[in-house]
Amino acid sequence: METTNKPSFWQRIFGGGKTPVETEPGPVPTHDSVPIPDAPKPLPGTLLNIDLPPNDPLVAYFSSQPGVVELEKLNLDSPALRELNAQAVKLVIPLVNQGELLGLMNLSNRLSDQDYSSDDRGLLNNLATQTAPAIRVAQLVRQQQLETQARERLEQELRIARLVQQTLLPQELPALEGWHIAAHYRPARSVGGDFYDFLQYSDGRLGLIIGDVTDKGVPAALVMASTRATLRGVAIDYAAAQNTTESVVDPGQVLARANDLICPDIPPKMFITCFYALLDPKTGCLQYANAGHDVPYVKRGNSFIELRARGMPLGLLPGMPYEIQELQLEPGDSILFYSDGLVEAHNPQKEMFGFPRLSEYVATHAGGAALIESVLEDLEIFTGPNWEQEDDVTLMTLERAADDRRQTTDDDAMRGEWKILDEFQTPSAEGNEREVMKRVAEAVKDILPASRLEQLKTAVAEATMNAMEHGNKNNPDIPVAVEVKASPSLLSVHITDEGGSVPIPDNPAPDLDLKLDGMQSPRGWGLFLIKQFVDEMNIVTDEKHHTVELIWHLEDANKT
Amino acid sequence: MATPQLNLTVRQPSSTAAIIDIQGEVTGAAETPLMNAYEEASKNGARTIILNFSNLEYMNSSGIGLLVTLLIRVNRQKQRMFSFGLSDHYQQIFQLTRLNEAIGIYPDEASALQAAG
Repeated sequence: METTNKPSFWQRIFGGGKTPVETEPGPVPTHDSVPIPDAPKPLPGTLLNIDLPPNDPLVAYFSSQPGVVELEKLNLDSPALRELNAQAVKLVIPLVNQGELLGLMNLSNRLSDQDYSSDDRGLLNNLATQTAPAIRVAQLVRQQQLETQARERLEQELRIARLVQQTLLPQELPALEGWHIAAHYRPARSVGGDFYDFLQYSDGRLGLIIGDVTDKGVPAALVMASTRATLRGVAIDYAAAQNTTESVVDPGQVLARANDLICPDIPPKMFITCFYALLDPKTGCLQYANAGHDVPYVKRGNSFIELRARGMPLGLLPGMPYEIQELQLEPGDSILFYSDGLVEAHNPQKEMFGFPRLSEYVATHAGGAALIESVLEDLEIFTGPNWEQEDDVTLMTLERAADDRRQTTDDDAMRGEWKILDEFQTPSAEGNEREVMKRVAEAVKDILPASRLEQLKTAVAEATMNAMEHGNKNNPDIPVAVEVKASPSLLSVHITDEGGSVPIPDNPAPDLDLKLDGMQSPRGWGLFLIKQFVDEMNIVTDEKHHTVELIWHLEDANKT
Repeated sequence: MATPQLNLTVRQPSSTAAIIDIQGEVTGAAETPLMNAYEEASKNGARTIILNFSNLEYMNSSGIGLLVTLLIRVNRQKQRMFSFGLSDHYQQIFQLTRLNEAIGIYPDEASALQAAG
């Protein structure tokens, strides 16, 4: 960089910017030279801070002049020459490499007042020819170091931008009785523009947002952050203005107002696609509006419904209308919201994953969180193992439970007769989870293989800890109830606390990198471990009780 | 109520590595003893802190949270953290939580010390 930017280069080399760099040579003391007492006396070996602008005639002279120059003999109108004379410099040896002036070696008089001999000049000339290339190499090494540092800084910035963006995504998924929400976000290599968000209204309704900013990298992340804030502001403002009465918090109005606010500020050529859905969990009514986002699919039975509504992406033109649509969600319905990173993923043959493949997939596979997992697996199969992810992939599901009143151990008939293995209660006191763990393990030790027994112990202990701590607030007067039962094909452990009115939030998956970077609490592993170690987990809540049901499949217990 | 049982001993078999022997239960109650043991293990300049899990009876999610906290401190001090003596079950937990990417896992003390150099 310095070699192509002449002014700053010269300033650096010759101290015009006040800071001499290490490549600038100072006066070279010969073995018998000492500073002259009367002269304005730079000490031997010090740097001279002489301003040598690139247009000074001295520069052209030195660049073309190989070898030792006696300043006395020069007759140039040069401020730099006057400066050198004022510093009592007698001889200058320009350090030139490939036609480029790198620096000057400056010598004052010999102490003996004898003239420099021709031997001296020869030695100095030799020195200059050796020194100039060495300085050039040092400059190049230094330049490379600086470039490496700059690159590392840039990577660090991207990493921080990614962490900032991830912290803007919801840290908790909303817990609604009779509904299940799951989300997955996988950024492309650095920082992407996908986002999703949930807005909880005081009348019980829930706003769900998924969006995608065109472009990637830091600009997309910044636009994403401001769009998210705008949408929140607009939607919550509306909620306040509506005073949670009967009147509708209209998704079309939310998008229209957000669009008008975003338009004046968004950088040119950028825009945001966004889908806004408003769910009334009590009735199952879903209202929605769409700002040019990929159309979500509703799985109903073995077919799919498209959630279509007309509207332009946000940030293109102000004053746009957004059509509102409505769908009544039935028990068992499951919606998949997604970003174009999924449908526009390419396989090695350059074919796109595409909408037909996705809609077909939604219709024929289980919905909810299981759908997210299986779609990701299908994507992996489609793209092959060495896929470099082109764009962010975001998936979000909203599922209405098949039957609101009976979420646990459905299909009892199919699963055969249940036999109670043990049933007991324990006070909510720290450490009691170990007793529960031992007692449950004892009850099931004959039907579960040893490898799964350890997993069961961890899952039971963690679920009991949650029940004592979150459900019963560690109050020893409130017991945790445990029921262990088995059918020919299933083992089920119920753990019940009395924190029914407070739903337990479903934390996002703990991420060790985020934790080590201080962006997530070091704790929060409990629910994660439970989910890893059971085949199914159900949560049932009534006004008083909160039950976690842990299920293991006995027929494939030997697989793990 | 069960009282949590934990005994920690610190040894420094070489100038560069210190071993914390863990006997008993690593739960939320282990925070103060574990952090004290870490400070003792670091006071003579050990660059590698080795956790001996051979006599671990029980570790829960709070205990795993403590290991993460410890790891943050170890990283900040530019030290490394190794472990040995983990049972299959806890090795699986290390894999699921990806702690195995941040804490070297060795089968026994000799191999952990050798890797610590």
